[in-house]
Amino acid sequence: MANLSLRDATKTFDDDGDEIIAVDELNLEIEDGEFLVLVGPSGCGKSTTLRMVAGLETPTSGSINIGDEPIHHQTPQERDIAMVFQSYALYPHMTVYENMAFGLEESSDLSDEETEEQVNTAAEMLGITDLLGRKPGELSGGQQQRVALGRAIVRDPKVFLLDEPLANLDAKLRAEMRTELQQLQEDLGTTTIYVTHDQTEAMTMSDRIAILDGGMLQQVGTPMECYHEPANLFVAGFIGEPSMNFFDVTRADDVLVGDGFEYPLSEEMSASIDGTTELVLGIRPENVGIVERSSGPTVFPGVVDVIEPHGNENAVHLRFAESSTDETFTSTVDGMRHLTGGQQVGVSFPEDAVYLFDTATGDALRHRVVEDIEEVQEIGTR
Amino acid sequence: MARSKDTVTGSGSVSTGAVPNDWRDRLRRFSKSDVVRSFPYWFIPFSIMGLGVYGGIGWNTLISFTDYEGFRERPDITNLDLDMYIQALQDPAVIVTTKNTFILMIVFTTVTMALGLFLAILLDREIRYKEKIQTIYLLPMALSFVVTAQFWLWMYNVNNGLVNVVLGVFGLGPYNWIGSPDLVLWAVIFALVWQFSGYAMVVFLAGLQSLPDDQFEAARVDGASAFKTYWRVIIPQLKSSSVSAAVILLIFALKAFTFLYSMFGQYRVPQATDILATLMVREAFQLQNWAYAAAIASILLVMSLAIIAPYLHYQHKQGSL
Repeated sequence: MANLSLRDATKTFDDDGDEIIAVDELNLEIEDGEFLVLVGPSGCGKSTTLRMVAGLETPTSGSINIGDEPIHHQTPQERDIAMVFQSYALYPHMTVYENMAFGLEESSDLSDEETEEQVNTAAEMLGITDLLGRKPGELSGGQQQRVALGRAIVRDPKVFLLDEPLANLDAKLRAEMRTELQQLQEDLGTTTIYVTHDQTEAMTMSDRIAILDGGMLQQVGTPMECYHEPANLFVAGFIGEPSMNFFDVTRADDVLVGDGFEYPLSEEMSASIDGTTELVLGIRPENVGIVERSSGPTVFPGVVDVIEPHGNENAVHLRFAESSTDETFTSTVDGMRHLTGGQQVGVSFPEDAVYLFDTATGDALRHRVVEDIEEVQEIGTR
Repeated sequence: MARSKDTVTGSGSVSTGAVPNDWRDRLRRFSKSDVVRSFPYWFIPFSIMGLGVYGGIGWNTLISFTDYEGFRERPDITNLDLDMYIQALQDPAVIVTTKNTFILMIVFTTVTMALGLFLAILLDREIRYKEKIQTIYLLPMALSFVVTAQFWLWMYNVNNGLVNVVLGVFGLGPYNWIGSPDLVLWAVIFALVWQFSGYAMVVFLAGLQSLPDDQFEAARVDGASAFKTYWRVIIPQLKSSSVSAAVILLIFALKAFTFLYSMFGQYRVPQATDILATLMVREAFQLQNWAYAAAIASILLVMSLAIIAPYLHYQHKQGSL
């Protein structure tokens, strides 16, 4: 067990003379025993980062350390790490037992008895003892996934690397495995990096999330921090489902003029945006209220477009009544609430829930007001 | 649907003549079936192939039960016995050639496969100019046996062949590759390995490239060295490539007659390289012992089938047959 750090880790690929930057000066500190989720859209460099830690890619520059020991020059064999691949990469000609024992046989000097004992312990932990004699081809997707995990666990490495391990499972099993994996990591207390493109996995499983886009680190923080205090437009849009609503606005004195609405600026808001005039106003769907028309200064006339029922809640797609385009935005309301398409409503954007971003840089200028983020975190972290 | 309805009403209305109607109906349906309608397309090739291959095998087997020899008379097929087989099993020439056939088969196949696998692994390791190198290795396979045999005959020339010239640089030789009974079989095997290792390489390379990269990566992360990765993870997964390469090579070894005949230019090849195929041709076309040659041919066929059978069984077990 150890903490892992990446310092200015950069990876570029050569594409017929063109240099493609996959990971750009990434700095990350992962504490001993921490569960860090690397999340981002495809091609953001998250898998490349993981492969650099695994030793399957060599960083072009920068360093990677486990504890105080630099490991970026070591081969994968020399690093004490275990990895779970998205495809599981089980060896098809070996039984489950042989698959799990292979790493121990190759990387340690354990006797056959000790190997057997460790494999059996790991198999028991994952509930796959019955499967030890079978070949991977005879297993279901979920069972193969467990074997792949078992193969990593049995080695008791310093760092676990998981590359989208749940991507090939069906939705129900994925939700179950999410909980189970989290529990397992907590029991083992091994430093873990988990790569995913699924923000739900990132939110629900991690101690901290690192969000990557275009090879650059956008934000590192607890799930609650990333959700309530996104560093920029990208993080705000990426974290949260359904994603945050964005409106292009221009500042005119003490109002923000958007397409179909004018948002009055409070003193606190105008202070935070300073002299910026081109802004993006953001608000999460759960904060968009559907109320009576003209019941306040931050309520605007809107029209209900489409309603998607989810049972406990409805995702309502709305338009501004005075908008010049057909652009819609989303509000989530209670599932029992009755709305119909075409209905004339008031749309409320409470001041406390409004985010403001600089259009030019994408940086967040104002976050929503959360009473006490520390307190929220107490509930949020486990 | 419409037609089936017609049939039902038709058979219902004719209550007395149900049997001929049923017979006609069946004939009509039979004449419209896929098998009958596609008859002109499959029957001609099928009959030509059947007559040429299976008819040939049948005729050969029949002759092997007679005492047919020379050109004077027709084979006497009224008196069939196993005399020729009994004679063959007691013939020292058959025993020697069978032994040579086995040596050729096993050594040639093993060495070719090992070399092919080695080359394939080298090429698979992200080498530059891979396609060109692949073509260079595969090229000997495209050459006719007649060409390569003649070419190696010159290479092995005792006085000024390239092999002896090169060995002479290191102070070795000269060796009489073709003349010496101890060396000639190995010289032939070496030439055949040279010709076929490119083929084995291509088969293995295809097998290697069909394996996902993450097998290699998983083994590396598991701590296995490059050698162990290949030995324990990769090579065992090349089983189906190995089996198909081995079968092709074994069959080529059995019918190496062309190569030997081209190399030595006559039916009588040096005794150390005399294999069942050359013995069979000699008995038939030099000595006109038709029945005896047919018996040897049957033995050769049984040997080929014995090699093919496990392969077919394996393919069947894998569900690809």
